[in-house]
Amino acid sequence: MAFIVFSILFIGLLYSHFSLAHMVWTQARGRNSAELDMDYVRIEDYFGQSFRGKVEEWLKLPYEGSRTGAMRVIDRGVEKVIVAGKGMFPEGRRERLAMILEDDFVCGPDCHFERELMVSSNVHVGHGTQLQALACDGSAKLEKGVTVRRWLDVAGPLEMQADCRVISKVCSQHSIYFGPGSETLSLFAPEIETEGRFESLSQSVSEPREVLLIPHAANITEPSHGYDPKLLYSMGGGSYLYNGSLKLTAPLHVRAPLVVKGDVETMEGSMIEADMKVKGCVKIGAMSMIRANLVSDGDMELGQGVFFQRVLHAGGGILLKYGVRGLGQTAVVVYASKMLTVESNVVVRGKLASGDKVKAISSPLAWLKHPAGDI
Amino acid sequence: MGFIILIARILVFLSMSVLTLYAIRHYWFAWTRLRLRKAKDTMELVGFVNPTLTVLVPMHNEEKVAADILQALADNDYDKSKLEVIPLNDRSSDGTAAIINQFAAAYPFIKPHHRREGRGGKPAALAEITGRLTSEIVLLFDADYVPGKGMLKMLVAPFADPEIGAVMGRVVPYNTGDSLLSGLLSLERASGYQGAQQARYNLGFTAQFGGTVGGVRRKALEAVGGWNPDSLTEDTDLTFALLLSGWRTAYVNRAECYEEVPQQWSVRRRQLMRWVMGHTACLHDYWPDIVRAKFLTAREKIECFFLLGMYWTAPWLVIGWIASLVLFFTIEAHYVPILMIAMTLVGYQLFANQSNFLEMGSALLLDGNRKRVLLMPLNLLNFFANIGATCHAMAQFYWARITGGKGADWDKTRRTRAAAAGGAGSFGLSAPREKAREE
Repeated sequence: MAFIVFSILFIGLLYSHFSLAHMVWTQARGRNSAELDMDYVRIEDYFGQSFRGKVEEWLKLPYEGSRTGAMRVIDRGVEKVIVAGKGMFPEGRRERLAMILEDDFVCGPDCHFERELMVSSNVHVGHGTQLQALACDGSAKLEKGVTVRRWLDVAGPLEMQADCRVISKVCSQHSIYFGPGSETLSLFAPEIETEGRFESLSQSVSEPREVLLIPHAANITEPSHGYDPKLLYSMGGGSYLYNGSLKLTAPLHVRAPLVVKGDVETMEGSMIEADMKVKGCVKIGAMSMIRANLVSDGDMELGQGVFFQRVLHAGGGILLKYGVRGLGQTAVVVYASKMLTVESNVVVRGKLASGDKVKAISSPLAWLKHPAGDI
Repeated sequence: MGFIILIARILVFLSMSVLTLYAIRHYWFAWTRLRLRKAKDTMELVGFVNPTLTVLVPMHNEEKVAADILQALADNDYDKSKLEVIPLNDRSSDGTAAIINQFAAAYPFIKPHHRREGRGGKPAALAEITGRLTSEIVLLFDADYVPGKGMLKMLVAPFADPEIGAVMGRVVPYNTGDSLLSGLLSLERASGYQGAQQARYNLGFTAQFGGTVGGVRRKALEAVGGWNPDSLTEDTDLTFALLLSGWRTAYVNRAECYEEVPQQWSVRRRQLMRWVMGHTACLHDYWPDIVRAKFLTAREKIECFFLLGMYWTAPWLVIGWIASLVLFFTIEAHYVPILMIAMTLVGYQLFANQSNFLEMGSALLLDGNRKRVLLMPLNLLNFFANIGATCHAMAQFYWARITGGKGADWDKTRRTRAAAAGGAGSFGLSAPREKAREE
């Protein structure tokens, strides 16, 4: 008898170990996974597109007020949405409902809009105002110190004056002016520029006496200008690996895909024609040209007037100095896992993104070299 | 007697040491994933890196699944002017060839290659076609996989980095409810990809190319001599051949692809045995080169040995148990039961699926599958099944080496997907979707 009781207790204890698992398995049995979205495609203006889609659905719902009247209210059940023509809001106005405006939207300073805004025409937001999110089919101007708690999606030109802050993404189908002190997570537009754009800045440098070629010519055997030919290995397939750091005292010309195991510092007027990976940090000298992808595990710094055409990707932070241009045949992209800092007079056609934040800073050259600096 | 006790003590010590080292490694991975939630990734580059691309789909008697993957590839959003899809029909005797030809007629970028002779198996088929490719990047999908619309762009994005020779996406089982085994294997896949692969990649180690849902830079592949047709795990072989030449393998956690995992223990056992033998062969082939490698740090070399030696943990556990049993019948019996229980618990927690419970649980939490965490105790079944299959495979492998005999042949994993009417978003097509609609 004692044995039977013991056996039952033992089996019960043993089962209790697996009871929860058994229960979960009983529920999951016969139900296959549905966790993946097979139609997922990454697009840059997802938030704006998704919100516009929602607005179209909302506009089909029953509403209070006349369709031709100045204002009507859509009752979504969980919340109400205001639909109006032109929206003019005085200083300090606080609005708790989502709004769809079929004309312009203008608000004074220090307003607070707690829900999303959809504007069919142009937008002017007064300084210090707080928005939840904004989709705009015209142009938009954000005065100093505007905060957007989520995203900003504008069809026309977007001007973000100084110290604006967008927590998530900023997109424009036309152009973005990213004022000094402003910050966000990512910017995407056919053209992004920072303050003090000055196109006459010379992109040429005097012809260097000596250029370091990688891969080097067969007759080069001795180290020179910070480059040791003995540390260069062929990985096969036309790619090379440099097993050390490159702190160069002559301009560099990279002609084949290159992986550098250490840090890299190049002189001004360097030319990177093939993809380059730097395991440490990289500093590209002023007025250099990068025609291929540049990737680093550490920080990356592009000197004044550097011109790049494809991908910049850093495991650390990135600094784009005064006059940097990112202009490729197709859109370019700059991504830093840490902070991406953009100085004045930087123009990029494509995307600036960061795992931390993208921040525009004002450099002294902004007014020294800007036409307005003549004053 | 004293000699036997000494040997048993040494073996117990070695067994415990090996298990402890692997335990530390896996706790480190789990800690890395929990602490550093933001993964190292290239998702922000997706859509900005668009090289010419070939997608290879090796197929041998795949009529149950061929149409699904070809339709999925036809629906993807990659620039079709830069894309070619090559279904690699390896001497199929069922309706695979007819399905492939239907798709080729419907989509000009699908260019079939029919093999009617030559050595069989995926590595041999890949070795044959690779010399004829001209695109910059070659991606691979097994026939039972179903890539999503945006997957190809995600997988090519890491190739912006010239150090990247290969890329690996994430495998997600879809038949998780079909059998207890497939449910448990979904936990293994979660810990293997969301846990270990991402942790290793975040920590600066090379990811492991898995031979499917991934790809390789064609020039890098040529530089290391192409696929090894003699290998049972040509993917692991390629990972290390690339690594020793200076190339790395990237991991893209967001490039998730459905696969069909084995639903029967016998199928799973054969699959695992092939992996064990192929993996262990790579350990023997590559260890001298790893020791001598100029481009690897000491830390990376140690991790290479951990990775290649991972299936040795099962025999070490069994050796530890046997040695403990020997000690049990000696004067040291008082602590042996504790030792055995400790070893079983550590082994069970650690190697139920080549990962520990913390790592598996962390991966499931990161995936948002909180409820599935509760399934983990049932991994006890997988634990004993894995130990048996691994030890059997190891014995077979070393016996073949000692006797100079022939090792195992490449063995295709059996598909169980049912052919159904199919439709948008569902599996089980038998013809191109447009064609099916017309009919």
